[in-house]
Amino acid sequence: MADEINPLGSIHVSPRAIATIAYQAARESYGVVGLAHKNLMAGLSQVIIKDPTHGVEVHYENGLVNIDIYIIIEYGTRISSVAESVKNTVRFHVEKALGLSINQVNVHVRGLRVSEVD
Amino acid sequence: MDADSPQMMHETRRLMVLKKSPIDGQALKRLAEAGLTWLRTNQQIVNSLNVFPVPDGDTGTNMVLTMQAAYEEISALEVQNFGQVAHAIAHGSLMGARGNSGVILSQLWRGFARSVDNQEYLDGPSMVRALVAARDTAYKGVVRPVEGTILTVAKDIAAAAEEALKKTDDPYEILKEIVAAAELSVQHTPELLPVLKEAGVVDAGGKGLFYIYEGMLRYANGQSIDSSAVILQPLATVVMENALESIEPGQDFEVVVDFHPNSQFDLDKYYRGLEEMGTSIQVGEGEGLYRVHIHVPTELRYEPIDFTMTMGTITKVAMENLIAQMEQREAPSRGSKLTLAPVEAGQIAVVAVSPGTGISRVFASLGAAAIVEGGQTMNPSTQEIIDAFENLPTEQIIILPNNKNIIGAAQSTSELTVKRVAVIPSRSVPQGLAAMLRLVPHGEFDEVVGDMTAALNEVETGEITKATRSVEINGVAAREGQYIGLLNGELVVSHPELEGTCLGLLEKGRASDFELITLFYGAALSKSEVNRIVDAIRLAYPNQEVEVQEGGQPHYQFIISIE
Repeated sequence: MADEINPLGSIHVSPRAIATIAYQAARESYGVVGLAHKNLMAGLSQVIIKDPTHGVEVHYENGLVNIDIYIIIEYGTRISSVAESVKNTVRFHVEKALGLSINQVNVHVRGLRVSEVD
Repeated sequence: MDADSPQMMHETRRLMVLKKSPIDGQALKRLAEAGLTWLRTNQQIVNSLNVFPVPDGDTGTNMVLTMQAAYEEISALEVQNFGQVAHAIAHGSLMGARGNSGVILSQLWRGFARSVDNQEYLDGPSMVRALVAARDTAYKGVVRPVEGTILTVAKDIAAAAEEALKKTDDPYEILKEIVAAAELSVQHTPELLPVLKEAGVVDAGGKGLFYIYEGMLRYANGQSIDSSAVILQPLATVVMENALESIEPGQDFEVVVDFHPNSQFDLDKYYRGLEEMGTSIQVGEGEGLYRVHIHVPTELRYEPIDFTMTMGTITKVAMENLIAQMEQREAPSRGSKLTLAPVEAGQIAVVAVSPGTGISRVFASLGAAAIVEGGQTMNPSTQEIIDAFENLPTEQIIILPNNKNIIGAAQSTSELTVKRVAVIPSRSVPQGLAAMLRLVPHGEFDEVVGDMTAALNEVETGEITKATRSVEINGVAAREGQYIGLLNGELVVSHPELEGTCLGLLEKGRASDFELITLFYGAALSKSEVNRIVDAIRLAYPNQEVEVQEGGQPHYQFIISIE
């Protein structure tokens, strides 16, 4: 639980809430065409389920928040730049919304979607 | 219209670029270079539009780096086929894409290239098809496109192109239409994206894309692409020697005219008239006397004089044949005023990036082996930095970028050379100088790098400049046109007067706890102004040593080192 305690009471933020923010942020990132469950097999990359946290995992470890995101990127873009951008954007939005700092944002590129053949 | 009038000559030149020769791969190369150059000239403007805090890094810098990578892919390409050059640009921009806007830009080029495929030449219809394809490819790259960004501008450009095709199939006319549409689209972005409206800015990525197209149009019009605004400088700073640093092809004569303007003199009109004739335009003013400096092609060499005569009374004229002069000089003019430290094999050589000639001299006197002049935009390319050290007789190179935006380009050099390169991440000139003092040319490389890096934190950096727009950061409110002081890169003080800003900055920097204050004054200040301010500082800080150096840097009135 991401906690903030002050004299007026305490605020608990569930992992699911964090995951939703991260999910939205990742989807808005340029180059990301979908999020994928980490166990998704290759060949099923077209299947993108409409779960608001699908493809995002939030873990707590010793009071630190780690986020893992599994994304599908548009073929033809520079993967490292897109992944870097996702990492920064997710961190930015989650930290802005929660006021907490995130330990790690790990971006996993699960697949590429080929829209056009070069 | 008189056949020899400036109007006619300008028209002819423009036509030669786009009409007389069909738009082939080589024309695309020149247009891409123009887009890159104009974007680079306005890079800081784009950077300043980023809404703080920025998750992504400076948009302007990212787009420049992306476009630069695209251009580097084609700069040596001699191929005529338009499609092939387009594909190479797309490939280069993909490999060099930086940040969100860079990736989107690479997608635009990708769509464009796929559409033109293997065409020999570009015509109106294929140009419009390609712009539409560019938009489509860019939009494919994201699930939820955010409107009010570079995507919207790309969309509006494609729409304007389609509209234009109904009236004309001349690529130049279409280019004019899309640049106008892009400008409107950029202005409209705050209406589409609330966070832009709140911050009072337009979208940075959209503005960057606009500059790329505008650069191409300006090139086609024969307008200058490396000076972005009319800056009236003090007379003393219109230095003739600087003119030789970069001569564009076709600029054969340098003309300098001193004159007293008449009562109807309009600076903007005058400047625009000059832009039709040549490049590297500078206008200086001192005590009612104006001096204009311009580079023109041979056939227009008397135009500036005739034109100025209609605006005032000429007192003096000087003309120099630049090409003949260039041939007389042996070494690159950059190094000729500086005595750089000679480098022995096995020594450590330091390459410093400098924003002004005075500062270059200081670095040279401290033992720098090579200086890279940052120029107006403080954005040397990776290649320029490599050129500075590649021929030095040593394998051990240390680079001092002296600006946070250059650190990346400096670090990239290590991938492109076999020499051992270490970049000391100096974010300002004072930091770079502090590091220079720790240089031991015969020392052990890693140890010296460690020492120099440690020195960076031992000096406080102050920078004084003018606010380009009203901001409020860190509780400091600055109105556009006021002077602002940055301490180690953070805004700490703002004041309508230069003197007040300097004193405020020194106070925030706790200068009274330190021993030495060094001021590097910029190109925009007169000696008398500098002396006045330095006297005030000496009065306020009697226990500190105050030193003054001519820095010659653009944009920053003062760069201050407190140690």
